[in-house]
Amino acid sequence: MNKNALDYAIKYGFLLLLGGLALFFSLYASGFASPRSAVFILQSVAITGILALGVTCTLVVGGFDLSIGSVATSALMLSAYTMVILEQSAFVAVAVCLLMGALVGLVNGLLIVKMRVPDLLATLGMMFLLIGLQRIPTQGNSIATGMSLEDGSVAEGTFSAAFLWLGRHRFDLFLDRLVPVPVVVFLLIALLIWLFLGYTRHGRLMYAIGSNERAAGLVGTNVHRYKIVAYMISGMLASVGGILLAARLGRGDIASGNNLLLDSVAAALIGFAVLGAARPNAFGTAAGALFVGILLQGLTMMNAPYYMQDFVKGAVLVAALVFTFYLSSRRGGRRTA
Amino acid sequence: MLRRDLMKMALVAGLSFTGGSAFAADMPAPFDKPEEVKIALVRYLSTGDFFQSYLSGVEKQAEALGVDLRVFDSRQDAALQADMVDQAIALGVDGIVIQHGLTESMKPAAQRAVDAGIKVVAFDVNVENDAIPQVEQSDYMLGKLALEQAIKDNGDTFTAGYVYVPGIAPLDRRDVAWKEVKKDNPGIKEAAMFGTLDNPIANSVANQARSVLQANPTINVVFAPYDEFAKGVKIAVDEAGLSQDIKIYSADVSTADISAMREPDSAWAATVATNPAVVGEVSVRTLALMLAGEDPGKQVIVPPTLITQDFLNEQDVRNMGDLGEKMPQFQHADVSVAEWIPLPKR
Repeated sequence: MNKNALDYAIKYGFLLLLGGLALFFSLYASGFASPRSAVFILQSVAITGILALGVTCTLVVGGFDLSIGSVATSALMLSAYTMVILEQSAFVAVAVCLLMGALVGLVNGLLIVKMRVPDLLATLGMMFLLIGLQRIPTQGNSIATGMSLEDGSVAEGTFSAAFLWLGRHRFDLFLDRLVPVPVVVFLLIALLIWLFLGYTRHGRLMYAIGSNERAAGLVGTNVHRYKIVAYMISGMLASVGGILLAARLGRGDIASGNNLLLDSVAAALIGFAVLGAARPNAFGTAAGALFVGILLQGLTMMNAPYYMQDFVKGAVLVAALVFTFYLSSRRGGRRTA
Repeated sequence: MLRRDLMKMALVAGLSFTGGSAFAADMPAPFDKPEEVKIALVRYLSTGDFFQSYLSGVEKQAEALGVDLRVFDSRQDAALQADMVDQAIALGVDGIVIQHGLTESMKPAAQRAVDAGIKVVAFDVNVENDAIPQVEQSDYMLGKLALEQAIKDNGDTFTAGYVYVPGIAPLDRRDVAWKEVKKDNPGIKEAAMFGTLDNPIANSVANQARSVLQANPTINVVFAPYDEFAKGVKIAVDEAGLSQDIKIYSADVSTADISAMREPDSAWAATVATNPAVVGEVSVRTLALMLAGEDPGKQVIVPPTLITQDFLNEQDVRNMGDLGEKMPQFQHADVSVAEWIPLPKR
């Protein structure tokens, strides 16, 4: 293959594929090409996208966070518990959840850098811990207004309107009530993480730690602190995802969050391939999440069953990994040759 | 009825004075000494509101009988569940309730229990054994009743969206009712079928339903025979601003479902449900009948109840407790009852 063509394919191949896919569905799935459908593709990826941006931060420092899915569902339960059973305001609920996310991230980070537990194992442990912990206060029941409590009384608290606003309000944009809050939050966070990782000293140091921890440490980077911060960002973003999920569902659903974990990790990994970056990056992660979203919405509109969708998701991930690891290594190989 | 109430009162009184032995004389063996009766519940599925509620029913009925209940929880591990049956046998229990599981792994295990002289009841799993009665909530009737209500509300000509994931036993049985109703009513057109069990299920289904409704604007009825599905569809309908134009019919009920059905302009028109706690109570009573040497029959079916949005609003039902009070047939099923079996306190 011609070297320029290969470079081009690596750099833009994925974005071209994304465009082609959108075009294909516009032609073959009725109702796909409309501003509303564009918005709900964004809405369907907003929550996994936010989680994926968190994973991206841990991938950047050469780590991995398996606990995000369960942090998100813990935040979902915690926000419901705070409002429905403790009868607190939306502000308290959000603050408590963010605090919980930061705390989980801190514990993950400390386990990894201080206790020297490998990242996959530490966060795996945290995942199980949280899946269990979130069910203890309600004995495994979902939380909803009117549920009976252990002492025989009935939970009187409700999801406050301000909290539901986070998941259900829509801003006007060209059309009335078009863009939901979670989409705006997702885009803002993507922008922030993109700027932070790519254009600040801290972000660059985090990349340096990811590519060579020892070297980064020798030139005076506080490796431990940056790693802990990466896990705290991941934990907080995961709880943001959980808060938005709770606001959309309007109840505290027990769920393990494993699907959230898998989808967001897939988005982050697909992100490696975007623009030939071959490394974790915020823009790629957002594009990766969007890619999965477009595929799933299009397939649903064409009445494809759920197993077909899993199959296609897997195929895309494998293709993206081939892009990243095989083609990029060939490009790298040629350069040095 | 009066006599049962009297007995209950007497039993309570007896319990408080003499630790339960005074009136136990009326009970057939082995329940004359209930504290020496040991029963085990061996579970395959346990996570979720339904299973939590089922367990509470089992616990309450066991407590009312005064027997010693052991709970084994295999958490969807079929091999472990079979081992747990063996553990229960080794423990020397008198009876076992098997809750869900796979026919392949439970059939030999259940046979071993029967061979050991233990009475066994199976809930929602077919262990292909003549000595073991099946307790079932009739999933077919669940689907059928919901669809009859849909036809009553919308006539026999409508465009439907159907939420279904094949390969899940109760959903498959509800699917039989859907196929049958579609066949009998050629005016019902299935425009789209979708569904997923990715959790949180309601969120994933909502995402799917959004695109389905966009692609098929003619849909005016959605049959979602599982409450998590219905919840997801309702979120999508609300987000699309179609709550006046679409009606949702589902199965199962919970406190959260009740509040969703009662929201102003809620699209969720009706659901059909069996109270899982009642199913749990029936499972234990069936086992008790067998232990006392009575025959509960081969199949013990707990009948489902139709719950409409109108009923909930008229009776101001806010949670499962209210529902039980306003709808007595939901709180107690007259199945596997006997004069001597005390019912749980309400």
